This record gives sequence, C-alpha cells and structure tokens, in this order.
Amino acid sequence: MSNIVNIVIDGKEVEAEKGAVLIDYLFKQDIDIPHFCYHPALGTDGNCRMCMVEIEGSKRPQISCDTPVKEGMVVRTQGENIEQVRRDILELELINHPVDCPTCDQAGECKLQDYYMAGGFYESRLEAESKVKAKKAVDLGKNVMLDQERCVLCTRCTRFTDEITHTNELGIFSRADHSVISTFPGQELESDYSMNIVDLCPVGALTSKDFRFNQRVWFLESFEAICSGCSKGCSIHVDHKKEKYKDDQIFRFRPREDHDVNGYFICDDGRLSYKDENDNRLNDASINQETVSTKEALTNIADVLTANPNDTLLLVSPFLSNEELALIKEYTLNNGTTLSGYSPQYYDESFADDMLRTSDRSPNRAGMMALRINENEKDFNELLSQKKVIVVIENSYFEDKAELFKDKKVILFSSKDTKVKEFANTVLPVASFLEKDGSYTNSESVTQHIKSGIRKNAPVGTLTSLWKAIESLSKEKA
Amino acid sequence: MGIKTVKRHGDTLRDKLYIPAIVSGMKTTMRHFVTNIKDNSNLITKSYPEVQPTDITDRYRGVHRLTKREDDSISCVACYMCATACPADCMFIEATERTDGVDEKMPAVFNIDLLECVFCGYCVEACPCDAIRMDTGIFSFVADQRKDFILSKEALLANTRSKDFSDD
Repeated sequence: MSNIVNIVIDGKEVEAEKGAVLIDYLFKQDIDIPHFCYHPALGTDGNCRMCMVEIEGSKRPQISCDTPVKEGMVVRTQGENIEQVRRDILELELINHPVDCPTCDQAGECKLQDYYMAGGFYESRLEAESKVKAKKAVDLGKNVMLDQERCVLCTRCTRFTDEITHTNELGIFSRADHSVISTFPGQELESDYSMNIVDLCPVGALTSKDFRFNQRVWFLESFEAICSGCSKGCSIHVDHKKEKYKDDQIFRFRPREDHDVNGYFICDDGRLSYKDENDNRLNDASINQETVSTKEALTNIADVLTANPNDTLLLVSPFLSNEELALIKEYTLNNGTTLSGYSPQYYDESFADDMLRTSDRSPNRAGMMALRINENEKDFNELLSQKKVIVVIENSYFEDKAELFKDKKVILFSSKDTKVKEFANTVLPVASFLEKDGSYTNSESVTQHIKSGIRKNAPVGTLTSLWKAIESLSKEKA
Repeated sequence: MGIKTVKRHGDTLRDKLYIPAIVSGMKTTMRHFVTNIKDNSNLITKSYPEVQPTDITDRYRGVHRLTKREDDSISCVACYMCATACPADCMFIEATERTDGVDEKMPAVFNIDLLECVFCGYCVEACPCDAIRMDTGIFSFVADQRKDFILSKEALLANTRSKDFSDD
C-alpha cells in the first residue's frame, strides 16, 4: 500500500493514489474545478489554465490537470488569491467571446456560460467593436456546425480527431487572438464518430446541426437508456420533452459515460437513430385489414393460439428485452407451440468497425442466446414449411419475403408499420424500444436496464402487458 | 390560558331597531344623489365603451407586441427566455435559421395565447433583446372564437406602441 499517500485538500486530510492526476482526484471528491481543455478521455493538454489550484511550497498557482499527487501535498482550491487568479484567466478567455448566448444552442449546458454568470462579467472591459471577429455558422459536414468566435481553443476537438478517431481533420489556424479551429482546406469531417466533438466542446463553438435550434436544453427531460443500433448497446441519455398540447418527443441522444461498454462516446448512426423511434409507427390493431379495438385483436389472437398450439410457430427477435423473451419462452414451453429467434437480416458486416460498432445491428442477441432460443436457419425453414400459424413478434425477417406466408395464418406484433401488415390476418401494435422497461445483454455479456421516461398521450401497450392479457384470455377459454 | 370575554356589539335597543342605521345610510346616498344631479362632470363611473379611458399610464401592461430593429426586421432571436419565464406557459415558439445576415436565429412561429396569458409582464423583463413589450395600451381584446385569441408573430409585429404614451 505504498502507493497511497496522505495529502491535504482545503484543510482536510485525505488519502490519494500517488502519481494520479490531481484534477481527477478532485473530481472524485466532488470538488468542482473549472476547466475547459482537460477531459478524462483525452488527457492533459494544459492550455486553458482554468484549473489552477494553490499548492503550498510552489511559487505560483499550478494547473491541477498536470500535477501528479505527491506525499504531503497541501492543496487549496478556494481562497481569495486562487479565485482572483481564476477570475483573471476567465476574463481573458472571454475577451473575444461574442456572448451571444440567446442564439447559442449550448446555452444551458455551457461551462463558459456557467463560469461567466458565477463571475459576473456582465460589463466587458473591451469595446464590443474591437473584439476579433471570425466565421460563424460554418458547416463542417457530418452534422457539426462550427462557430469560430465562441471557441476558447481548448483543442479537445482536434485532440479527439488526432488521438481517438485518427482522422486528423481539424486543426488550429492563424496565430494569437486570430487563432481559429477549422478543417484543413477542402476537407470535411469524415469520421463516423464526428458528432462526439459536439459533446466534447465545452462551449458553443461546435454544435449539432441536427439539434440546431430545435429546443432549448433546459426544457428537456432525460432518462438513461441504451442505443439499439447494434449489439454493442452503448449507454445513452435520451433527451425528450412533452411540450404543451403536443405528444412526447425525443430530441436527441447523448452518450453516457460507461466504462464497461462504450467509454465516453457513441457513433453518429447511433446518435441519430432517435429519429427511427417515432418514424413509421403502427397505431391500429386490425383483423383482416379492418381496424379493430385492441381487445378484439387480443381475443382473436388468444382464440387462434389456443385452437392449434401444435401447429404454431412463434418468431421472436433480438430487439425484445430479456424479460419479454423469457415470458414468451415460458409460454411456448407450457403449451407446445414452437419458438424461433431466426433473424439473419440484422447482420451487416459493413457497419462494424474497430471502435464501438458491431456487425449485429440488434441489441439483445446475447440475451436471446442465453435463453437458448433457437436461431438455426435449417430448423427455422423446416418449421416454417410445417406450421400453419406464424406469430411474428417485432421481427422484420418477412419484410421482403411475404410470399412465404402462402396458405398460412399470420399474427403480427409490431411497433413499426411494415409491409408484412398487408399479409397478416391479425395485427397488434406494441410499444417501441424506448417506450418500455427492460434489460438487454450486449455482445460483451453486459446486461443493462432501461427504465423508460416517455409518457405518450395515447400509449401503446407493451408486449409484456399484451402477452399477459392473451395468456389470461386463453386460460378463460380452456 | 385564561379566557377573555369580548363584549358583543349590536346588542343595544338602537342597534336592534335597525331604523336609525337605515336612515343614516340613506342620508349619505341622498347627499351623493343630489350632488351628482346638480353637476355630473366629476363622475368617476364612465359610460364605457362609448367613453374610453384616458388615464392609462405608460407602465400599463397591455397586449404584447414584437419590436423591430432599425432596418425594420424582427428583433426577436428566439432564445426562449420569455417562454422560460412565462408562469402561464402561454408562449409557443419555434426557432429557425435566419438567413438575411442580420442574425443567426429568429422565430418561425411565435404565438401567444391571450386566454392563457396572465399579463404579468415577465416576458418583457426576461427578454435580452428588448424584442417583446406590452406597451400597446390595448386593454380590451375581443373575439368570438378561441383560436382568434392566439396572436401570431405577424399580429404581434403589427401591434405598435400606444400613441398616448410618451416617446421615451
């Protein structure tokens, strides 16, 4: 245990790991040190000078992001001296900043705005006319907008493209207070992870083109979920809002720090997949193409399932949660129906890369495998030719293969309005991926739980609740 | 704790008779009646709406308006500060990109539902651009359908500062 040393922070004696970065340790102690350039994923750069602390024995204040923890260190993060130092540095950062918070999308989650308000720099000591002007609203490609005036040159974005994606699109051009961030001439952002620089940017210099002017961030509510874009199951924040007189709507996904799964980032496809959630939804239950109430559809399904259990094939998908899969698996074990999880259509080799993306574009195949649900192609084709009743549950396999339904009775559970609807005898809408609670196991066997925070005006029933209703209706008949 | 007995009022014979009280009340009524019959120029009550009030102060919070810049374009940058401050939640704004080079952002939709508005003036206080004001002097707003009480961006821009108010 020689690695543990005693240090004093703000008059309190604490134990810390020798050699650790001081700012990391301060974050762990819930001490809020203002900083721009330091980010745990990108490491120390030491250019913003905001994270100054006083260390006894040093002649002048030190940046805590580049100070290793040493035995007997006495650190002060508060006090008149150090706060004055920080104030002066912040005023320098703000010299050429346009302070256009009203039009800036970052307002509300902007570090510079927070420090500016706390510091109370309402009157600039510099004439507004003499501020250095730069380009505003530059489209960098890949859904990223750049505003060079708002930039504090922390270089988090350039370090991200240099060190994380290794695509090197961004750099700093010109000198002194004319320095600006930009892409190299004729180049656009090209990495599939580009939008992460929007989250990394501590100010409003890099903003999302997709989210641009859509909402003010303080109106948004958030819940924790996972991305369903591939079997990596990256942790995300879902930012949504039920506006007055409107329905609950998702505005954006943000990556959530999770060292077991995705670290700090997510890919752009995953980030923009929030649009799929509400697109093309199935709303009405129907029997033979005629719209019916959910109750009627449930009774119809219960009738069909109890009538010929031995002639029924249930096709589930890796988009269902562990709980839903377990419920359906138990049902098939009890009454002799057959279950398959065959879903080759979700594999896409071109999607995989060496960072986060995997080739399996479904979130819970590992969970399905853990429940020993058969995915074998040969078994599935055999069953498909034998069975007369096919129950398709959130599985898009038949999307372009409707001819396989010939002479069969088809029951479709779906959250999406698919072409299969036209060939199904009974159609029942179910809640979408983020509208229900459940747990999902990713390709690395990490199980994560979603507790949905979405409150629709007219919520569609979850598969669990609908399936339980069918089970109890079947029992009444038996 | 002791109990304090308070003497009940109105127990005297004079109070119980009621007549002296009625007489003294009628005396006041008749005095005003005679004064007003002789000279009605000092009457506080007005024959509204034929006679309109002339004493609305500059600080009166009337129906809102959206102000314009010197180049006659809209001042509002759709920052949602007014909607954030609004306690009645009666402002419905949708922002869009501004392409005329004056600014970056402007409202595509800016609706105020006057039936929901409580005329508190917080939106005017919150506005960082002096883009919304309540100095139209309009105190009466009439319509016969609910949807007509929702003022659009165009209607708000068309409202002007009351002519009765001073220019500063």
